[in-house]
Amino acid sequence: MTTTSKKTTRAKSKSPNKSRSNSINKSSKPDKLTLRSYQMGFGDCYLLTFHYGAAGRHVLIDFGSTELPADAPKDLLLQVANDIKRRCNGKLHIVVATHRHKDHISGFATNKSGTASGDVIRECEPNIVIQPWTEDPDARTDAKRAIEVSPGKSVAFAKTLTDMQAVAEMARNAASFLSNGGQNAALAAQLAFLGEDNISNRPAVENLLEMGRRGRALYVNADLVNPLDLGNELPGVTVRVLGPPDLTQSKEITKMRSKDAAEFWQLQASAGKPLREQAEPLFPGVAMRSATQLMPPHMRWFIRRMNSIRGSQMLEIVRILDSVMNNTSVILHFETGGKKLLFPGDAQIENWNYALAEAKKNPQFKALLEDVDLYKVGHHGSRNANPKSLWEMFKKKSPKSSSRRLQTFVSTMEGKHGHTKDKTEVPRRTLVEALQSQSNYFSTQELRAEDELSKAFTIDLR
Amino acid sequence: MASPPPRRTQTLTIIAQDPSVKVKRKNPATDEEEEVILTARVDLPAEELAPGPRGYRVQIIDYDSTTGILYPPLEYRVLESGLYNDPFIDEPDSTLLNDPLFHAQNVYAIVMRTLARFEFALGRRVSWSFNGHQLLIAPHAFTEANAFYSSRDRAVLFGYFPKPGTEEGTTPEMVFTCLSHDIVVHETTHALLDGLRERYMDPSSPEQAGFHEGFADIVALLSIFSLPKVVASIIDKNKNLENNGAAANGTTKSGDPESISLKSLTREALRQSLILGLAEEFGEEMSGARGKALRRSVEEWLPDPKLITDDRFLEPHMRGELLVAAVMNAFIEVWVNRLKGLGHRPPPPPLPPLPSLRMAGEMPNAPADEMPDTLDEMPPSERAMMRNLENAANRHKQQEFIKKRAEDMPYTYEHLDRQRVVEEGANIADYLLTMVIRALDYTPPSDIQFCDFLSAMLTADREIRPDDSKYKFRKNLLDSFKAYGMEPTSKGDGAEAGVWEPPDCEFRYNRIHLESLIRDKDEMFRFIWENRTALGLEDQAYTRVLSVRPCVRVNPDDGFTLRETVAEYHQIINLQASEMKHLGIKKPPGMRDTQEVVLYGGGALIFDEFGRVKFHIRNRLLNPERQTRRLEYLWEYGAFKSEMQGVDAARRFSQMHRKRFGIFPIEGEKLENDNYVEKDHTRQVEKP
Repeated sequence: MTTTSKKTTRAKSKSPNKSRSNSINKSSKPDKLTLRSYQMGFGDCYLLTFHYGAAGRHVLIDFGSTELPADAPKDLLLQVANDIKRRCNGKLHIVVATHRHKDHISGFATNKSGTASGDVIRECEPNIVIQPWTEDPDARTDAKRAIEVSPGKSVAFAKTLTDMQAVAEMARNAASFLSNGGQNAALAAQLAFLGEDNISNRPAVENLLEMGRRGRALYVNADLVNPLDLGNELPGVTVRVLGPPDLTQSKEITKMRSKDAAEFWQLQASAGKPLREQAEPLFPGVAMRSATQLMPPHMRWFIRRMNSIRGSQMLEIVRILDSVMNNTSVILHFETGGKKLLFPGDAQIENWNYALAEAKKNPQFKALLEDVDLYKVGHHGSRNANPKSLWEMFKKKSPKSSSRRLQTFVSTMEGKHGHTKDKTEVPRRTLVEALQSQSNYFSTQELRAEDELSKAFTIDLR
Repeated sequence: MASPPPRRTQTLTIIAQDPSVKVKRKNPATDEEEEVILTARVDLPAEELAPGPRGYRVQIIDYDSTTGILYPPLEYRVLESGLYNDPFIDEPDSTLLNDPLFHAQNVYAIVMRTLARFEFALGRRVSWSFNGHQLLIAPHAFTEANAFYSSRDRAVLFGYFPKPGTEEGTTPEMVFTCLSHDIVVHETTHALLDGLRERYMDPSSPEQAGFHEGFADIVALLSIFSLPKVVASIIDKNKNLENNGAAANGTTKSGDPESISLKSLTREALRQSLILGLAEEFGEEMSGARGKALRRSVEEWLPDPKLITDDRFLEPHMRGELLVAAVMNAFIEVWVNRLKGLGHRPPPPPLPPLPSLRMAGEMPNAPADEMPDTLDEMPPSERAMMRNLENAANRHKQQEFIKKRAEDMPYTYEHLDRQRVVEEGANIADYLLTMVIRALDYTPPSDIQFCDFLSAMLTADREIRPDDSKYKFRKNLLDSFKAYGMEPTSKGDGAEAGVWEPPDCEFRYNRIHLESLIRDKDEMFRFIWENRTALGLEDQAYTRVLSVRPCVRVNPDDGFTLRETVAEYHQIINLQASEMKHLGIKKPPGMRDTQEVVLYGGGALIFDEFGRVKFHIRNRLLNPERQTRRLEYLWEYGAFKSEMQGVDAARRFSQMHRKRFGIFPIEGEKLENDNYVEKDHTRQVEKP
């Protein structure tokens, strides 16, 4: 077993009227699956309901957004949360937060008065909260895997993630500084976007931790052999974790897990402090000229260059941390009733490499990927999270419509991220074309935000 | 009255190493002992400075791009001597740390000192790689734990950041990278090396990538060790440990401040104390990763010929660290060997308590139990002398006797003279620094390998100082590189191992004008073109002379000058991958036939004072083995991927420094070519 289940204490008592699934036992099998894709603008939110006759088991995969569609109501997140609560009859069985990016977890945020979308989800008392092993509050920065528990003193990896998010906040601030100057508008926009998505969403992170504490927290890493132990919650469904690999499984992940790297992010985070806290000037009492005044002629060229370097430096760092965060994504694989469903979060190639390499070695693992019936498109359709070799493995893609044809789902919003010019636009045009021509493709962009909160798809599992 | 002749040098105060390195001294006002930042006063070329300071090669522009604030320029007052007043002599630490004007002076002085060091070693002016004469320096460029050279911006930028771990709510103590001698020299060296060998920033091999970092580290380390004050502070620290140890053991040799035990000057002890001491003194926060690298080179990477083939050392930083280890190892070896010749005279044993001596106030202040009880314990000659001296009238004779007695003490080799130890160390570091810089002229202009650099160091030094017997620098470098598994590229010229061989062909000189040849790129090109067959050039390729540099170097031993002209040329050829096969170059697996690839080659020509070619040091353009290796490396590391095409030189250094922490840019790293739907990876990342 590579999954950890440290907090095994269940919530003390559950109100009996909430568990309607008394008729389900360990040998039950679901006959139908409803997949509900919510309109989150730029973000992900999927509610999976496995039907066991009249009873249902509900799995929420991600709930977040960095930007809502222009025509969406302001309280969209709360509306979605209430919709989820209604549809699951007030009881969620499993919550998955694939990674801690805002566009995947912001909906889990609570507020003091207990009225936020995250409070509604918490009221649904999930039995299990699944997160990547990097979120384990006890995993040491230098631990090789999630199981190695910190002796208390050393820095947890989650701390490094927090440091990285502080850096993101710095980037967002730098973006506003750059755009104030009127120069480098494009750079500033990119910075603002990535900064925003990566900054810490503390109430959401803490709520996930708390929900895990009340139910059972699973901090998972790739294990193609042993499925997760979810027999009580999802009988008849085999759930495997294909990523993220831990240190013993992947050299690539080492890059983001060395102690030096932890130190680097700590330094960067601390570098941002004076900015964030509007602290004292660097040299109190020294006469200085501020950006709004005219600079001496001989240095104007250089000052322009420096401002632009500053922006690109920040962007570069934020891009790295964005990728690192994406690569902590949990890749979940569901198998039931002869159907295979793949939910890869925003995993990029460094995360995928492990599962792809294993699939090359072992035909059994290869079949897990080849036979996928339903694919949640990675990272809102960006090119870096949809490995070509993975796409080429899918056997059920086909130019012709049929009942067996691959179904693909993307939750995305055009014009938010990347540029057509350098082929980084999200969703990537060529990828969308391939998805459209080779699969039954659904994009949340087809939903009208003002009156269509979600769309449901039914998959027969008999 | 005639004004004094203009002075050629100017002295300014700098922080000797970094602000965390402190020494004890007596406060002149309160007479109390205090700890202060170790500073040094360094000599620089004197020049006419504009406020900034802005000089003929370096301009300080103190703009902070994080906050958008411009700090005031430093303006010097002119003294009667015509020199500038150094406003920071004996200023308290608080001024050094908190006055941006001192930061400007510190960074100006260290950059200029490094430039002067290069110009001295090479015997000529050294240009920056960009189109311009003045390097721009921003001492407080941004809040980031980074500092880097950017050729595109003609600048070196230094970051600052709060000390990590500062408690919430308190004003954080700032760490300024511009106050670290090591960091400033390191970045300046990147700029200077780029000016001398512009193609060394091209992606080529782990060694070329590691060379820029390793070379910058070597120059920074040797530059620090060439300050006697720094060597003394590290040696003293070591000595204190030794004394504490001695006190604990009950031994008593610890009292003499001017001696140092030979035990702490062995090869191993010096490696430990010097490099490790320095690593510790690189404040964790200032350059934690740097300190770690140094520590590794002492603790883990003891000389071992297998390291060079170890997979870990394919990573450019790690590879660069091997170069640093090999040179620093030679430094310690030379030093240890020189110390063997140094002795120390211990103080004479205490005199017996003769009443007259006691009255004269000459009684050595030794514990009573160490004194001989009677004169019988003294050697007979001394005993007789002492008897004669008991007469108080011979007081001056007594004093003479005591003095002579001290001088007559035999040298021992258990303890060495501290001052000499320090001087030797600083001198050796300084000479080695000259050697490594001088070697650059003798390196191939592209695709540098460490073994080339070794041959270059050996040849450059042999040319200027044929007799290596005093310090044995060349022998020790050769041995040290061999111990790390690196053999010189050249076997040697028969007389000396490892030096470049003279060319074995005849050149045509009859249409060339010597005066033009040593100054003019077009004339040099003419020489190269006319001799392209003898030089083994590819005449289908684009060929360009990068530089022609006449230089004059002085032999430190006999004072005679060596005049040479150094020219660099470069060849580029664009081929389709399918064309490489008949040239014997293997296409990396997976590369398309139509992929365009750019191959580089080139050479350095060294002319003697009569304009005859002494050496031709080159990388042949169509060398199948080298080009296959290079393409394989570039392909594997994703240099042909479209993402890398945007990575310009400016970003490369800031990325390199981050990689020290293990922070890798996601794009362009060793990933499989697996991005979805990218078809046209045509261009390579190269300078135009």
